[in-house]
Amino acid sequence: MCVIPPSLYFIAPGTKQYAVLAIEKELHYLKLAPGSVINYVNDYFDRTGNDTVSNLKWKMTYYLRLNYEKSDRLRDLIKYFLLSTDFFINKTDESKVVNYLGLYSPYLSPVPNPYSFVIYPKEDIKDV
Amino acid sequence: MKHEHYDLVIVGTGFASSFFLKKYLSKASADKKVLVLEKGHFYPQAERLKIKKGLSSAYQKYEQPWEDHILNLNKNKEWPFTTAYGGSSNCWWGCTPRFMPNDFKMKSVYGIAQDWPVSYEELDPYYYEAEEIMSVSGPEGTPFPRKGKYPLPPHAFTLVDKILHKKYGNQYISQPGARASQATRGRNGCLSFSTCETCPVNAKFTIENSEIGVYQDKRVKLLYGAQVYQLEIVNHLVKEVLFEQDGKPQSAKGEVVVLGANPFFNTNILLNSGDKNPLTGKGFGEQLGMQVLIYLDNMTNAGGSNWVNANGYMLYDGDHRKDFAACLIEANNAPYDIRLERGKHLNVASFRMVFEDLPLLSNYITTSADKFVPEIHFQDRSEYTLKAVANMKEKLPGILSCLPVEELKYLPPASHEGHIIGGARMSQDIRNGVVDKHMIHHQYRNLFVLGASAFTTFGPSNPTLTLSAMSLFAADKSF
Repeated sequence: MCVIPPSLYFIAPGTKQYAVLAIEKELHYLKLAPGSVINYVNDYFDRTGNDTVSNLKWKMTYYLRLNYEKSDRLRDLIKYFLLSTDFFINKTDESKVVNYLGLYSPYLSPVPNPYSFVIYPKEDIKDV
Repeated sequence: MKHEHYDLVIVGTGFASSFFLKKYLSKASADKKVLVLEKGHFYPQAERLKIKKGLSSAYQKYEQPWEDHILNLNKNKEWPFTTAYGGSSNCWWGCTPRFMPNDFKMKSVYGIAQDWPVSYEELDPYYYEAEEIMSVSGPEGTPFPRKGKYPLPPHAFTLVDKILHKKYGNQYISQPGARASQATRGRNGCLSFSTCETCPVNAKFTIENSEIGVYQDKRVKLLYGAQVYQLEIVNHLVKEVLFEQDGKPQSAKGEVVVLGANPFFNTNILLNSGDKNPLTGKGFGEQLGMQVLIYLDNMTNAGGSNWVNANGYMLYDGDHRKDFAACLIEANNAPYDIRLERGKHLNVASFRMVFEDLPLLSNYITTSADKFVPEIHFQDRSEYTLKAVANMKEKLPGILSCLPVEELKYLPPASHEGHIIGGARMSQDIRNGVVDKHMIHHQYRNLFVLGASAFTTFGPSNPTLTLSAMSLFAADKSF
């Protein structure tokens, strides 16, 4: 259990700014289209809540210097960023620019199951 | 109160009721009268989709959270179900493997729990019939006895599936499923979205898209919003079904009465009606499921055309069931388990390990102060099951030795498998159960208690196909 000083909430940098930095840091090897990450972060926090408790949890993640291996919150943020782009549609090709397509939803977004035959047709799976 | 007389009164419109009714109507004369009492309402799949897309729907008023219908005393254990036309065919995920023959003979083969009074061989023709009605997609060559092709071709394998199938043959197969591998009557082909509880493309079999036709039959009258709470029983025969509709008490007389609700409500109705069988409501439960993430070195798990792409039987049947439970492997890709390390995003196979459990008497259903609301007491998993989990962790690395495994990550047990089983178990005689092999109540001989309520034991395979086949069997043999 970590004790957070009461003053921390007020002096910490913006949660969204931190989220953008975290995504850019972890995905440094990808060509992220300008504006993609911030647009995603805005949509993500609009949907998942931007209240005081949520802010505080994000700031704990930041100040404890957690990476995605130790923070499910951070892992989800990055995972859903990738799912919200054309990264999987482009078969995880790092040479292609990654564009944000809208917050991922199986019912709304154009991104299919990243594993599925829609991206990797039956004929593409080698025989053994 | 309204008094009407019917040849058959059925409670519920889910799989158990609908398949029973289909067989009954195929044998009944044109002058028969059937009343069907559905607690929920017709809430079309297209309208459910609107809600998922953030749109409004006039039908949303019919959404009924399962938590509102039961008094669940164990908040760590969930029991999701749908209250609506078609019952849990709306929210099921469409997995339809058959049971293994020994699932019906646990006592005589392994000395565990009880034998079912019905055998695999007796159900076999009804399995085919149910698979045909659901247009099941599946492979030739299965671990359970089955001849010929399924109605639709199997779903495609991933590379991981291909390697495991090559090593284990028919112990590792494309999962038979009611998620159509190609467009078929009333349904589109599955696009593998892995959100089957409300299929985005209407590929999953439901009562609504089944074209089963029973509720359009002129002999059948269907009432929505009809909450059944009790049977009026005289001289060991059910005379009337008591229910409320729009807050008004009603009743209907029936020559034969069928309880086709889920085990919670079948039990609640029986207990409210004075059923004194000591096993009514006792020993309900479901399988234990837990996810294992298999991180792969330099191999993706891409491809595959389904949510549950394959079933593995390597830990299922065998002498080990004398000591610990069977385990069915589901190779699936939902929720999308994506790795974040560079170049390894899809190098994951995700296996759901599903363990059978035993009908413990410490898990039971009772009535509550509200006559419509059953009280759910679920406390324990059996040692038999927990021992199987430990065995699985010991054996799985060897089973997967044909794959380039980097790491296995065992996730905590899931809060539910989406099944509710038992409470009116089937038995040869009244001392060991509530209903007989045709799911007729041992004591009240004009009363059927259908569905997973009647399961004697909880094998690891998904229950829907078997309970549907049992409904066809029971109606065929009884009328």
